[in-house]
Amino acid sequence: MNFEWQVISNNFFFLMGGLVTTFELALIAIAGGLTLGILVGMGRLSKFKFIYYPATLFVNLMRTQPLILVIFWFYFLVPLIIGRPIGGFTSAVIAFTIFEASYFAEIIRAGIQSISKGQMEAAYSSGFTYWQAMRYFIIPQALKNMMPSLITQAVVVFQDTSLAYVIGLREFLRSANIVDAREMRSVELYLFVGLVYFIVCFSMSRICKKLELKKGYA
Amino acid sequence: MLNYDFKWSILWTDPYGGWILEGVATTIKLGVLCCIFSMLLGIVIGTLRITQFKPLRIFAEAYTEFFRDIPLLVQLFFWYFAVPSLLPENMRTWVYQEIPDFEFWIVVVGLSLYSSSRVAEQIRAGINSISPDQFNAALSTGFSHYQAYRYIIIPLAIRLVIPPLTTEILTIFKNTALAMTVGVLETTFMSQQVEAYTFHGLEATTAACLIYMIITLIVVGAMGRIEKRLAVPGLIIRKGANS
Amino acid sequence: MIEIINVSKWFGELKVLDNVKETINKGQVVVICGPSGSGKSTLLKSLNGLEPFQEGDIRVDGISLNDPKTNFIKLRQKMGMVFQRFELYPHMKVIENITIAPTKVLNQSKSQAGKKAMELLERVGIPEQADKYPGNLSGGQQQRVAIARALAMEPDIMLFDEPTSALDPEMIKEVLDVMVDLAQSGMTMAVVTHEMGFAKEVADEIIFMDEGRIIERGTDKSFFENPESERLKEFLRKILI
Repeated sequence: MNFEWQVISNNFFFLMGGLVTTFELALIAIAGGLTLGILVGMGRLSKFKFIYYPATLFVNLMRTQPLILVIFWFYFLVPLIIGRPIGGFTSAVIAFTIFEASYFAEIIRAGIQSISKGQMEAAYSSGFTYWQAMRYFIIPQALKNMMPSLITQAVVVFQDTSLAYVIGLREFLRSANIVDAREMRSVELYLFVGLVYFIVCFSMSRICKKLELKKGYA
Repeated sequence: MLNYDFKWSILWTDPYGGWILEGVATTIKLGVLCCIFSMLLGIVIGTLRITQFKPLRIFAEAYTEFFRDIPLLVQLFFWYFAVPSLLPENMRTWVYQEIPDFEFWIVVVGLSLYSSSRVAEQIRAGINSISPDQFNAALSTGFSHYQAYRYIIIPLAIRLVIPPLTTEILTIFKNTALAMTVGVLETTFMSQQVEAYTFHGLEATTAACLIYMIITLIVVGAMGRIEKRLAVPGLIIRKGANS
Repeated sequence: MIEIINVSKWFGELKVLDNVKETINKGQVVVICGPSGSGKSTLLKSLNGLEPFQEGDIRVDGISLNDPKTNFIKLRQKMGMVFQRFELYPHMKVIENITIAPTKVLNQSKSQAGKKAMELLERVGIPEQADKYPGNLSGGQQQRVAIARALAMEPDIMLFDEPTSALDPEMIKEVLDVMVDLAQSGMTMAVVTHEMGFAKEVADEIIFMDEGRIIERGTDKSFFENPESERLKEFLRKILI
C-alpha cells in the first residue's frame, strides 16, 4: 500500500475547519466547566448541608457516567426543556460544561484542602475576615498548587471534545471521518488527526511538567 | 417543558428490554477483558519506567506519553479503520466480514493499550512513593534484592496502588461506551438503538446511565473490600495526601 | 573490626567523601557528627555497601568491600542499621517487622523468631506493642522497634543514621536510653547523631565531618573542651545552646 498524503492537503481547509470547532468547543467547555467547577468545589467544602449534599451528589453522580452517554442525554433533554430543537454544538457545550465541572470541582476542592489550616488561623489572627483570607491567602496558594492538575484536566477536555462526534458535530475527528468516507484514505487521515492531537497535548503536558518542577523548588 | 410523553414502559417492552440487557452483558465482558489486559501490560510498562536500563525506560516513557496524548476515540478509529486498510483488498474484506466479533476484539486491543499506559503511570507513582531507605532497610537486614522486592516492596506497592487502580477500572468501564462508535452492541449502543426504534431516547439513555451507576457501585464495593483487607493501619496514602 | 582506608566518593562532579580514614575496633562506639551535607550519612551507608564509593577501600572483619567476591548479603547480616525515618514496613505488624528477616534470611522457624522478637521488644521496653502496626505507634516507639528489628539478626555491628533527628523532643530520651544500654553491653556501634549528651556518655571516639572530610577527631574531653578547628567551634556553639 502506498500513502497518498495529498488527501490531507486537498482537504486541508475542511479539516482545519473541524479543528477550529474542536478548539472552540474545548475553550468554551474549559471556561464553563471551570466556572461551574469552582462553585461546586466550594460547595463540596461548605459547612451548610443544603449546599454540601447537592454538590457532593452531583459530583459523584457525574463521575459514574461515561461522557458519551451524558452527551446523548443532554442531546435529548435540552430540547425538551427549552421547547425547541437545538444544534449539536449548543447541546455539546451544555453537556461538556456540566460533565467537566464535576472533574474541575474535585481539583478545586483538593487544592483548597491542600492549604494548611494554620494559614487560615494565621489570617484570622491578624484580623482578616473569611472572604479576605480566601482572597489574599488561600485561593492564590491553592491556585498555584492546582495549576498542574488544572492544565492536565484542560488537556483531557480537549481530547474529550472528540466524543461530540457521536451527535454529528463536525469537529476535527468527524471532519476526518467525513473525508475518509469520500476518499478512503483512513491511514493518512487518522495518523494526521492523531499527530495533531499528540502535538497539542504533548506540548501542554510539557508545560505542566515545568510548572510542577517549579512548584517543587518553591 | 415541551409536551413529551414519558413512556418508561418501553424499557421492559419486548424486544427493547432484552436489547439493553444484551448490551450490559457485552459491556461487562468488554470491561473485564480490558481490565485484565491493561493491568498485566500496565504492570510491565510501569516497572520498565523505573528500571535502571535506559533504553527500556525511554521506551516505556514514550509508550505512556504516546497513548495518553491522543484521544481514545481517535485511537479506536485508527485500529478499526486505518489498520485493516493497510491490508490488501481481499484480506480487508475477510477481516471485516469473517473474523467473528471483529469490532469487539479491536476495541479490546485499543482500549487495553490505552488503559495500560494509565495503569503504568499509577504503578510507577506507587513504587516511587516508597522511600529508597525502605529498600535500604530491607537490604540492611540481610535480604537480597530479590527478597527485598518479594517480601517488602511489592506487597507494599500493591497496597498503595489499589485506590488509584480502582479509579482506573472505573474509567475502563466508562470508556467501553466508546465501543458503540465502531458498532459494538454494548449498553450505550443498545440504548441509542432503542431510541432509533421508539424515539424515546431520554428514557433509554437514562436507563443506560443507571446501569453505569450500578456497575460503578459494584466495582467500588468490591475494590473497597479488597482495600480494607489489605489496608495499612495508620498509614494514610491517598492521592495527593503528602504533596 | 571496620577499617576505612582513604575512601572518596563523587556524586557526579560533587565530591561527597574526601579521603576518609578511620578505624572502628570491636566494642567501640564511634559518633560521627557534622553539619548537614557533610557526608556523614553517606559514609555510614557505605560501610554496609548501600552506597558505593569510587576510591579507597573499606574492610569489615578483614573482608574488602571492593572484592568482587564479597557477598554483601552475608556482610549486611552482620551489620544492623537504624534509619532516620525508622523505615519500618508499614503493612506488617511490629512482631512481623522483627521476625521477617530471621525467618526468610536465616530460615529460623516462626516460633523461634517470634520468641526472640518478644525478648527484643522487652529489651527496648515495648512488648505490649507487638501486635500493632507501625502507623499506630509514636515515633519513639517506632524507632525502638527498628532497633529491635536490626538486633534480631544478631549483628556484630550496629549502624545508626541520625536515629533521633525525626523525633519529637520528649521521645528522644527513650531511644537514646536503648542505645546507651546497647553500647554498655559491648556492641560495636557507628552513630551519626547530634546528640552530644549521648556522645559524652558512651562514645569512645567522636568524629567531626565537613564537606566530605574528617576535620577533627577526639575522645569526649578533648573534643568538647578544646576544639581546634574554627568550624568545629562554630558547630558546637550552634548545637550545644
